[in-house]
Amino acid sequence: MATVPTTIEAAEELLETGAADLPEHVTLWQDAWARLRQNRMAVIGLVIIGVFLVTALLSLVWTPYPTWRQALGPTYQTPSLIHPMGLDDYGRDILSRVMGGAAIALTVGVGASLVASMIGIALGMLAGFYRGKIDVIISTLINISYGVPDLLIALILVVLIGRGVGNIILAISITAWLGMARLVRGQTLSLREREFVEAARSIGTPNLKILTRHILPNALGPIVVQATYLVPAAIIFEAFLSLLGLGVPPPAPSWGRMASEGYKALQLAPHIVLAPCAALSLTVLAFNWVGDGLRDAIDPRMRR
Amino acid sequence: MSRGTLVYAAQRLILITLTALVVSSIVFIGVHQLPGNALASERRNNPASEAALLHHYHLDLPWPQQYLLWLQGLSHGDLGESLVNFGTQITPLLLRESQTSITLGLAAVLITVGVGMTLGVLAAIRQNTWVDYVASTSAVIGYSVPSFVWAFLLILLTVSGFYAWSGGQIYEDIGWGKPEQIPVPALALGLPYAAIVARLTRASMLEVIRQDYVRTAWAKGLKARVVILRHALRNALIPVVSILGPLVTGIITGSVVIEFLFGIPGLGKEFVSSILARDYNIVIGVFTFYAALVGLANLIVDLLYPVLDPRIRY
Repeated sequence: MATVPTTIEAAEELLETGAADLPEHVTLWQDAWARLRQNRMAVIGLVIIGVFLVTALLSLVWTPYPTWRQALGPTYQTPSLIHPMGLDDYGRDILSRVMGGAAIALTVGVGASLVASMIGIALGMLAGFYRGKIDVIISTLINISYGVPDLLIALILVVLIGRGVGNIILAISITAWLGMARLVRGQTLSLREREFVEAARSIGTPNLKILTRHILPNALGPIVVQATYLVPAAIIFEAFLSLLGLGVPPPAPSWGRMASEGYKALQLAPHIVLAPCAALSLTVLAFNWVGDGLRDAIDPRMRR
Repeated sequence: MSRGTLVYAAQRLILITLTALVVSSIVFIGVHQLPGNALASERRNNPASEAALLHHYHLDLPWPQQYLLWLQGLSHGDLGESLVNFGTQITPLLLRESQTSITLGLAAVLITVGVGMTLGVLAAIRQNTWVDYVASTSAVIGYSVPSFVWAFLLILLTVSGFYAWSGGQIYEDIGWGKPEQIPVPALALGLPYAAIVARLTRASMLEVIRQDYVRTAWAKGLKARVVILRHALRNALIPVVSILGPLVTGIITGSVVIEFLFGIPGLGKEFVSSILARDYNIVIGVFTFYAALVGLANLIVDLLYPVLDPRIRY
């Protein structure tokens, strides 16, 4: 049993020598990471995402064949040693295109998640913190937007602004922020009443600093979980757009476009459709596993 | 149905009308800021006929005036005329197509709720057994596989599968018009959401079956079927109903892709082909229809609450 220090100097000395019988200092994120590592599905998900990330980066500098090169062999060729996933209807190497598709899917997925999160966090915090008129305007905007299928808004926007990767990200974000804004608004509404915010306000902390230094860090847990779930949602959304012929323009090898091109020959050559679909589903599954793991790891109710 | 419910429903109907009006107005004004339309590109060679057409569609007027004319038409349910197919009235066209979409959507919702709840209940009453693991794992996989991938798999399975299995006797074709063509697209549309329902049902069932009144029901010696379905499931349903709203919106969104893939003549397919053909009159009309459909579907879901839980009143 350690003796109780009576002076500050004695206490500091005890802390420095490590003799104090204090619990180990663990931040929320260290704690969450430790718990995430215990979650088998989340770890498998992280590994899958890692593999796709490496593949995507690799595809920027090297693919077995150029993704656009046609007539590499007989069209609709089934998988072989030279072309492990076969050739598509133009005789392009499907493996190379699936690799290139990973880069597009991850760019759009992560990009849209980031843009949507930033819009959602900013508007959600404004509505929750200032309440009143600002809240009414933002909440009405959210409720009206929820009244229309998001795909329609994205489709019309893509027709208006064009189909580059940046525009696709914008078209997805324009509706994807709604859920994040709702979440952050709710968090802010409850956090702004807490004592530490009141304390900060009482010593004259400016609102901007209260929002960024006091409210945002405390809402970060649910925000990270929501942002993680936004990635697979955006990837599926991009596939929808590509499938309808309004995604990233050809010859970029988007998974959705590959599926849509292969659909014409689904019965004759199912491998053309199945390869990108498997890659897409696996990526989405991995992100959902990680999202579930993060949610369980960050949930404060489970914190010891 | 109590008086309060009727008042609530009436208020919501007004709100739905307003939302549909606001949404279609935004789209109308947005679209009319665009350069070009379906007419400008196609009939450019004859200036006289183009001018006549522009006049016919009121496109020669400034847009605020067009908007007022359009509102006037809308007030008695007239959404105007197709820009591409001369003489095609949009309202009857979309009314017909929305019946197709509603049929498909209802079938998908039935599959979603049926499959999802069955899996969820099974997983909950057999918690931590192989049934639970299989049901829970297939639920995560279920919602990670997008509807169009389910569509491809189901087409391969039914069309090619049955054909090969029956030695060419059973020939199933995709499309619309025959009752036997409904299940495959409805399954593709519903399965991702069935997975979500399954997860939610499992979680809320697990909470409910530990409560005292369920223990009392067991203690009274009631049959397992009665305890699970009458006592437990009814209360476990309330959180499930709460996601039916977003779920219906999701199914409507998914139906755009599924209708396109299966060639089903519904609102979604109409939207895609109209937007590609720049038939903006139809695009605005579909937006109006969808806003009304989403609103009505959510209203129906909200009216389900008091049926399940008498404590909830409007």
